[in-house]
Amino acid sequence: MAQDRNKDGEKKKKESIFDLSKYIDKQIRVKFQGGREASGVLKGFDPLLNLVLDSTIEYLRDPDDQFKLTEDTRQLGLVVCRGTSVVLICPQDGMEAIPNPFIQQQDG
Amino acid sequence: MTSLNGTSATPTPATNPSQLLPLELVDKCIGSRIHIVMKNDKEIVGTLLGFDDFVNMVLEDVTEFEITPEGRRITKLDQILLNGNNITMLIPGGEGPEV
Repeated sequence: MAQDRNKDGEKKKKESIFDLSKYIDKQIRVKFQGGREASGVLKGFDPLLNLVLDSTIEYLRDPDDQFKLTEDTRQLGLVVCRGTSVVLICPQDGMEAIPNPFIQQQDG
Repeated sequence: MTSLNGTSATPTPATNPSQLLPLELVDKCIGSRIHIVMKNDKEIVGTLLGFDDFVNMVLEDVTEFEITPEGRRITKLDQILLNGNNITMLIPGGEGPEV
C-alpha cells in the first residue's frame, strides 16, 4: 500500500510506541481479552507484545459475577502471554481498588 | 551500548539482548509438556510438537479442561492442531489445573 512506504519508497519501520524495557524485572499487572488478569515479573517481550512473566499469579474471577475479582489466585510460574490477547499492562503498584465513586454518598 | 546482530531481516526496536524472547521460550518447550490457557475457561495440556508464526500449536497426548463446570473434559490422543486465535497464556511444563 502507498502509505506503508516512506517518501523514499522504503518500507516503514515497525516501531513500538511504548518501551517495555523499563519494566524488565519489575512486577507488572496484565489484563487480557476475555477478562483474565495476571501479575508477574516481566522477563522478556517482543514487538508483538508477547510477554514472558515469571512467578505469575492469575487473579480469578467470581463465577457468579464475571466482572468481580475475588481474592482467589493461582500460581502459574513462568508463563508466556500472547500479545494478541493482551489489553492492558501496568506496574503492579500503579493501581489500587477504590470504593465505587458512582454511588451517591449518604450524609451522617 | 552493544547492539544485536546487524543482519536481522526486520529491524526491531532496541531490545535488551540479554532478555528472554517469548517465542524462544516456547521453542525451548518443544518436546515437553505445556499447559495452554485460552481466552475463555478452557485449558489444554499436552506435549508440544511445534508451532508457527501465529502460535497455532501442534500438540500430542492432549487433555482438555473446562474450568467453570469443575471437571476434566476429553482426553485426546494422536495429534491436535490448536488454533492460536484464542490462546492467552502458555505455561511450559505445566500439568494443568488441579482437578
